[in-house]
Amino acid sequence: MSPMLEVQGACIGYGPIEAVSDVSIRVETGQVVAIVGANGAGKTTLMKAVAGLLPLSAGRVLFEGRDITAMPPHRRVGAGIALSPEGRQVFPDQSVRDNLELGAWSRDLSPCAMEAAIEAQYALFPRLRERQGQMAVTLSGGEQQMLAIARALMGEPRLLLLDEPSLGLAPLVIKEIFGIIRALRARGITVLLVEQMANLALGVADQAYVLETGRVTLSGSGAALLQHPQVRAAYLGAGH
Amino acid sequence: MLATTLQALVSGLAIGGVYALIALSFSITFTTTRTLNFAQGEFIGVGAFLGVTVLYALSSGGEGGSFAALAPAASEGFRYPAAALAVGAALGTLGLLLFLAAIRPFAGKPGMSWVMSTIGFGIILQSLGLAVWGPAPVNMPSPFGDDVLRLGGAGVRPQEVAVLVVAVLLMAGLDFVMRRTRLGKAMRAVAYDPNVAALMGINVTAIMLGAFALSSALAGVGGVLVAPIASASLFMGMGIALKAFSGAILGGLDNPRGCIFGGFALGLLESGVALWQAQWREIAVFLLIILVLAIRPNGLFGRRALDKV
Repeated sequence: MSPMLEVQGACIGYGPIEAVSDVSIRVETGQVVAIVGANGAGKTTLMKAVAGLLPLSAGRVLFEGRDITAMPPHRRVGAGIALSPEGRQVFPDQSVRDNLELGAWSRDLSPCAMEAAIEAQYALFPRLRERQGQMAVTLSGGEQQMLAIARALMGEPRLLLLDEPSLGLAPLVIKEIFGIIRALRARGITVLLVEQMANLALGVADQAYVLETGRVTLSGSGAALLQHPQVRAAYLGAGH
Repeated sequence: MLATTLQALVSGLAIGGVYALIALSFSITFTTTRTLNFAQGEFIGVGAFLGVTVLYALSSGGEGGSFAALAPAASEGFRYPAAALAVGAALGTLGLLLFLAAIRPFAGKPGMSWVMSTIGFGIILQSLGLAVWGPAPVNMPSPFGDDVLRLGGAGVRPQEVAVLVVAVLLMAGLDFVMRRTRLGKAMRAVAYDPNVAALMGINVTAIMLGAFALSSALAGVGGVLVAPIASASLFMGMGIALKAFSGAILGGLDNPRGCIFGGFALGLLESGVALWQAQWREIAVFLLIILVLAIRPNGLFGRRALDKV
């Protein structure tokens, strides 16, 4: 069986600057796969390319065995890939509910099915129900992150891309977010996760990759990388 | 005194309604694509002439008169609204062409090629219009006749009231669409960030095409609305578009309601100052705009910095 996502030899650049060079990753169905690395290592660039927002200058992206390298981003949502972007990027001047509705844009739901889909998100994120009529800009950082994830889930993806879900959040909220990632895996959603918080990401990941200045330098199971001396020295800090 | 003030108020609101409509049309393309159609003035003029042409075609053989001097009957009944709709559709289509030819190749790229390409598109359009219709202004009769209405002692032309009513209805309709409908919410998502909108599965190019069609249709309808007040001319749109653009900048280009406010404010100010000293009109208007921008560079209700252009 082909993996859910396969990136083969991807090179991605902004003009003459190459941010990602010859990167290959595999995401098996049902797994949580983490990409860890320092700021500027090319993690977000890679995620954007998987979502279709950045073109590859070389290599290809396969989704469920199908080559989607040239597929425009809005069609990838319908194909089953949704990204919760770095910095959350909720629509600030629209309500929580409208943000969620926009997440289901590609599904063309009946009002009744839309209601059920939104209810499902409120069940997963009860805080969003309390805030449903509020403009997204008035939410706290943690609530915005939950909204961004819920909005991505509204597209009913088989592959959920999470870019830096812990960015700028309080430790308790981060713990909550990672609890949700585990819950999503239990529901059979495949997750590709990009994180600077390497210890948390490796703790939840079945497979993981370490990205350094645009190249994969290490890969293995999350547990193995958590013990890897090189990872411990570079990302987990001495005495962590 | 009261009568003349009232008169100035009504004509200020009428021309302000047109400014507001065109200001809104600038805002629609700016928020969704970060570009503007600098041919909007030519679109207004062409819209007016197309309107005259449609009225002439609908009434020819009857009591409609000649093309250069349409009789009042030419605008009667369904003809004027039909002309406005036809012009809206035609200019909307022209807007699609403008986007594909003059915006799409340059939008989002460094440089300001789209400024030149839209100006060029307008000049080509105007020259084609001159070749087809000639340079002379043409009269477009108002569907409501030219008998002056008496309103508390003031003389008001029925077309002025019609312009105001239609402009307000159109803007209220658009405001509703932007805030309450699925399509409007998607347009606002694109306005926030096209990339994030694409992540929702929204076809951003289709939304941008729609924005240009809508913006251009508004310019065409604006031309049909204003032509019976002055007269249809291929050059009439320049002044209107410039004032409308000023109104949009004054209210905040990225805020549709701010643009509507700016358009009305400019129309009222213009007719208010003209009441006192007609030759001070433009001076007062543009001094005020410069003053406002000096204090609030993004306009009265603008939020984002304009440096993304």
